[in-house]
Order: sequence, then structure tokens, then C-alpha cells
Amino acid sequence: MTVGLNAFLLVSGLLFAIGLLGVILRKNTLVIYMSLELMLNAVNLALVAFSRYNGTMDGNLFVFFIITVAAAEVALGLAIIVALFRRRQSVMVDQLNALSR
Amino acid sequence: MNDLLAEFLRGYTANNQWAIIMPEIMLAVLALGLLGAEMVLPKKSHGLIPRLALWGQLFVLVVAMTAGSYIGFESKSYFSGMIYQTDITQFMRGFFLVCSILVCYLGHIYLSKQQLPKTEFYHLVIIISAAMMLLVQSSNFVMLFVALETVTVAFYVLVAYCRSSSLSLEAGLKYLVMGALSSSILLFGIVLLYGVAGNPELAFNSQDALNFDELRNFIALNSDNLLVRVGALLVIAGICFKIGAVPFQIWVPDVYQGSPTPVTAYLAVASKAAGFIVLLQLVTGPFMGLQGLLVPVLSFVAAATILFGNFAAVTQRNVKRLMGLSGIAHAGYILVGVIAAMRGVAWAPYAVIFYLVTYLLASFAVFGVMTHLAGSDDANQELDDYENLARKRPFLGGILACGLGSLAGIPPLGGFIGKLFLFVAAFQAELFGLLGISVLGVVISIYYYFGWVRECYFGNASDEVIHDVKAPFNMSDRVLLGALVVGTVIIGIVPAALPIIP
Repeated sequence: MTVGLNAFLLVSGLLFAIGLLGVILRKNTLVIYMSLELMLNAVNLALVAFSRYNGTMDGNLFVFFIITVAAAEVALGLAIIVALFRRRQSVMVDQLNALSR
Repeated sequence: MNDLLAEFLRGYTANNQWAIIMPEIMLAVLALGLLGAEMVLPKKSHGLIPRLALWGQLFVLVVAMTAGSYIGFESKSYFSGMIYQTDITQFMRGFFLVCSILVCYLGHIYLSKQQLPKTEFYHLVIIISAAMMLLVQSSNFVMLFVALETVTVAFYVLVAYCRSSSLSLEAGLKYLVMGALSSSILLFGIVLLYGVAGNPELAFNSQDALNFDELRNFIALNSDNLLVRVGALLVIAGICFKIGAVPFQIWVPDVYQGSPTPVTAYLAVASKAAGFIVLLQLVTGPFMGLQGLLVPVLSFVAAATILFGNFAAVTQRNVKRLMGLSGIAHAGYILVGVIAAMRGVAWAPYAVIFYLVTYLLASFAVFGVMTHLAGSDDANQELDDYENLARKRPFLGGILACGLGSLAGIPPLGGFIGKLFLFVAAFQAELFGLLGISVLGVVISIYYYFGWVRECYFGNASDEVIHDVKAPFNMSDRVLLGALVVGTVIIGIVPAALPIIP
């Protein structure tokens, strides 16, 4: 049995929606971070599925770039979060509001 | 078999002409060279590094300007459709280089007040400059994404550069979350376009579905497809995040306030300019067939952006937030020019570039003054700090007044001509509603820009002890800031001094 393109796209869309909601709703910066990664992985899944269905390799290639960029972003993001935690003793968004006034 | 493979690869590399991206390569070498110089040079000659950065970039600027002339440049595609050079991208190379030179100079002033590592700042500024040059030249979504992420990731570091200040770190975190979110949205749009344009069951599908030209042909014939529309809207939304257009503007005031002042200037001018050029190339290139959908959407965004930016800036007392919010309003005016370009006004892209140049000169004059006056606590610069500035530091007061006057669009200055060109383009494109809103926005902006100027010239605390912290202010600072203002005035009086509009 083969799984059709639509099933992949459905899962990818769901993952993207979950990630987007997580970024908007959650308060912990680390969880926001995971949600961002979820969105990027949703994109990767859709890319691979499309690439297979369309019979072109560009999509597979693009995935590698996305993974690399995501790794760079995570490394930076965690560094900033750690530095911020050392100063504020908190990673919750609602306490990181020194700028919004 | 190997011969076949070699033949296949040769087909791809036939038009790889490395010479045409020489300025970017030289910038990358310079950036790495700075890091190397820091390792090699003894500690007491580290003062050479900023000079190396500045003169190196000036050299690249000369090379870039002499190698390819701007006027009458022949558009051509290179690297199997990855890079597409036009007269606009040629000009933007110089634009970004001037920006990064000015940012390095202001960064030198900023870093002399802080206990921070220095070399990495110049390194990152130069890397961003090179990546932005590639970004505006890209004509393939893979290229666009990689260049865009190089810019964004380096900006995350620069925004959070002042590690000793929790405000800077907070701005960095906010920019990071928002930047990553916008990249994901942009990517999802790209994926949908790729999937639908390469779909073998649809008419006119393409084997190279990430290429702008192929997409243009596909979208022109399939503009009713739902996935095409959603994909294009998501891509536009991702770009709108970068340029700070409503409803994706929430990060702008916070990030502008928290980041070091030179980085704020870089974000406000260069990053925004890159976003607009990419937007311009997308809407007049691949998304040309979607005009019926995109013109109303972007018109609404532009109107909301102009109104939000101006009204929010009126009550603002922190000057960095003020610059951020008024920058949102400027993004709105430029969007009007982009819409005019979509409606077929052929010279509208050049009006956009002209406006960006006037915005560069005026903004850097203002940010230069801010960098000079800022103490070690960089994020909290209030309007009250500028009280009686003209009496204490007449030169800086004059520069500030000229810069703000140009941003507001007062006649003899460049900002006026820039706005005039945009509005004429909007008039020719018959965007009368947007034109009215823009004029209203300009009127409001005069109020708050002149509130700032009034604070400098007509402060009421005349009996106050003038405690002037004499920051070192030498001849080259004077020459640089003076040159920015002189440039603004010359463009304002003789617009033809800047041969952009054909």
C-alpha cells in the first residue's frame, strides 16, 4: 500500500499549524523554540513529499539547506536564551517585557 | 558513465562566471581576514582592525562601481538561473556597501563606549552586506532563502550584541522568534509554490519549479489555482515581516530600541531596503499574474502601515522607538511605490530606489547624532535628553534638524523629492485613495519630527546647568555627518545629481 501525497500534505499542514499556535500561545521561550522547529520540519516534510511526487530533485536538495539553517538558528537562539537567563533568571515571555513601554 | 556525469555537470556550470560576483567574494575574504587579523596581530595594534574594515570596504566599493556601470546595464542571468543581475541590483550593491561602511563607522564610535568584543562586529556587518547583495540578485527560491537566512542569522547576533545589557538580549530574543517565524511562513509559501508548479498533472508545469522565470510562466497561466494563491500570499507575508509592514510590525519598536544604535540604523535602512527590492522583484516577476489578488491586499497593507506607523509615533518619547515607528510609516510609503510598479508604471521601481537613497542619507544623519549622544546605556534615549541640544552642540543640532526635516519631507531636502516621485508614481497608477492616506501620513509625521526638533532648539530649561559630556568628536565625524547632510540637500535641489530615474 502506498500513502498518497495528500496524506503527507495533511500531516505537514497539521504540524505547521501546531507549530504556529505554539509560537503564538505558549509562554516558555524554550517551548516556543521547539514550535519553531516543528514549523520548519513541517516544511521539510512537504518538500520531500512534493519532490517525490513531482519527480524533481530540487525539493530534496532544499531540505538540506533548511536543516543547516535551522541548526544555526537553534545554536544562536539557545545562546541568547542562556545569556538572558543568566541576567533575568527567567525564560518566560511574560516576564521579558522590559522593552515594551 | 563518468563521461555522462561530467557532461551533465558541465551543462550546469556553463555560465558560472565567478568574476561577476567578485564584490561579494572580496567582502567575504575581507570579513574572514578581519578575524584572522585579530588572531595574528599583537594586542596593542588591534586598533588597526576597524581601519582595515573601513578601507577594505571602500576598496570593494570602488571595485564594484568601476566593474559594472549602472546606466545602460544589460540584464543577464548567471549560475544556471541562480543569479540575475539588472541595473537595480547593480545599484543596490553600492547602496548596501555605503550602508555597511557607515554602520562600521558608527559601530566604531559605539564600541569605544562599551566593554565588548570588537572584531566580530565588523565581521558580521560585512557578511550581512555581502549576503544582502546576493539576496537582491537571486532569481531562485533556494538562493533567496539561503541569502536571506545569512542576513537574518547574522542580524540575530548583532541585535543581541551588547551581552551585558538585558535589553539588548531581550531584543535579540524577540527578533529571533519573529525572524524564525517569518522564515517558516516564507518557506511554507515557497514549498506550496514548488509543489504546485512542478505538479506533472497541471498544465504548463515546470521541471525547475523554484526558478523565478519558470514560476512566472506557470503562475501567469494558473493564477486561479488555490495553492498558488495561498503560497504567494504566504511568501508576501514572510517578506512583510522583514520590512515591518502591518500586521507584521509588532517586533519593530522593541527590537529597534534594544539593539545597539548602529545596528538599529542597519536594520532600519539596509535590511528594509533589501526586503523591498526582493518584494519588488517578486511582484513584478513571478507574481505578475496574481495582480488581481495582490494589488488589493498590498494596498490595504500599505494604508494600514502608513496610518499605524504615524499614529503610534505621535505619543512616543523614546527616540529609538520613535525612529522604529516612523520607519514603519516610511515602509508604507515605499509600499505605495511597489504597488504602483505592479500596476505597470515602468519607472516606479526607480522611484522606490530614489526614496531608499534619501532615506539612507537622512536616517544615517539622525542615527549618527544618536550614536554620538548615547551614553553607555544605549537603549534608553529619551526625547528629554535632546533638550537644548542646539545650544550645547550646535553642529549636532543642525545635522539632526536637517536629517529629521528630510525624513518629514520638507522642500529643499532630499526626502521631499523622494516622496514627490513616489506620489507621482502613485498618481500615474491611479491609486488615489492611497495617495490621500500618504499625504495625511506625511502631515502627521511633520508633527512628531518637529516635536523632536523643537526639543533641540526651543527647550525651556535655559537656567539648567549645561552638563555637557564631551564625547570625543573629531574631524572625520564632522566630515562624515556633514557629507550626509550635504548629500541630502544636493539631492533635494538637483534631483538629477542622482541619475536613478531614467
